[in-house]
Amino acid sequence: MNNVLYTIFVISISLLLGKLANYLLAALPASLYGMIIYALFLQLNWFSIEKVTKTNQWFIKHMGVCLVPAGMGIINHFELIQQHGLALVVVIFSTTFILLTVIGYLSERFLITPDNHQSKTTIDSK
Amino acid sequence: MLTTFISNTPLLASIVITLLTITTYQFAAACQQKWQYIWLNPMLFTISILVPLLLLTEINYQQYSEKTQLLNLLLEPAIVALGLPLYQQFKQIRFYWREMTAILILGIVVVIIVSFMLAMWLIKAPEIAVALSLKSVTTPIGITLTEQLHGDSSITAFAILIAGLFGALLGPQWLSFIGVNSAKAQGLAIGSASHVIGTAVLVRKSAEHGAYSSVALILSAVLTALISPWLIPLLQKLFY
Repeated sequence: MNNVLYTIFVISISLLLGKLANYLLAALPASLYGMIIYALFLQLNWFSIEKVTKTNQWFIKHMGVCLVPAGMGIINHFELIQQHGLALVVVIFSTTFILLTVIGYLSERFLITPDNHQSKTTIDSK
Repeated sequence: MLTTFISNTPLLASIVITLLTITTYQFAAACQQKWQYIWLNPMLFTISILVPLLLLTEINYQQYSEKTQLLNLLLEPAIVALGLPLYQQFKQIRFYWREMTAILILGIVVVIIVSFMLAMWLIKAPEIAVALSLKSVTTPIGITLTEQLHGDSSITAFAILIAGLFGALLGPQWLSFIGVNSAKAQGLAIGSASHVIGTAVLVRKSAEHGAYSSVALILSAVLTALISPWLIPLLQKLFY
């Protein structure tokens, strides 16, 4: 229970700082600043990773349900889908396929370097 | 009758509608856990149950979204919680982070420009073009960014879902076909194009596939968030 409260506390602090960052700097949404601040807190060891891991994983596992209301907005778009359904599918399919090709091809070409072996052994030996 | 129930007892209606959403979602998630079908996506399942239900009971979207405000409020802390995987993945990728960041930036810029222009050309609606150009990012972040840039977030949510299913079902075969076979490259490509759905499928291939896929998922979310707020307004200006 303590760890649950601890996690909620750390996430709330990060989100509040995120809101402040959003107010001062604009650009990114507050929650994204919050995410980066939270990662930074963990990196700097200001808060315990062991204490937040379990509750945090529970949050992530169940966050999908928070997206349902946004998705339900589709109810207002039947006309758009009727009119442009094919165009929507064409855009989504073709661009997904372009992204797969660009990233896959470049990664295959540039990430298979000699230090590949070295980095792998370093990870293994850890 | 139902509409009067909603306007007379707003709090009770809120609780009922929110619980209904959560239960349907949990039921779908349990089914997917059991049978492991990609297409049995909990969000898709929940929406395809709730949309006919709303139409039947004549509850409009405005009312539904007011009654489920709690879920919307929880979205912000949920996104912050993604900081943990971000931290974990950064430890993993420190050897290649420059190369990976460069490749992902290139991919993201290309896909935003192509999606926006294709959508403007075929559909001619700016809010749809914004929504479609933010479809190559994990759903919570895609929705948040779309709202910030005045796009239509429900279209983003659906586009991300379709891109996820497409990449998960056909992505690995396509990549092998064009000669991309390493776990790193397949993982990065599927993770950035098909996010959580793609990662969930790819992790069954090998742990290395899964690790790189989740690196791409998180890293491309951060990069898209940094790139889109200046790239999309630029594209919008070009078209007006």
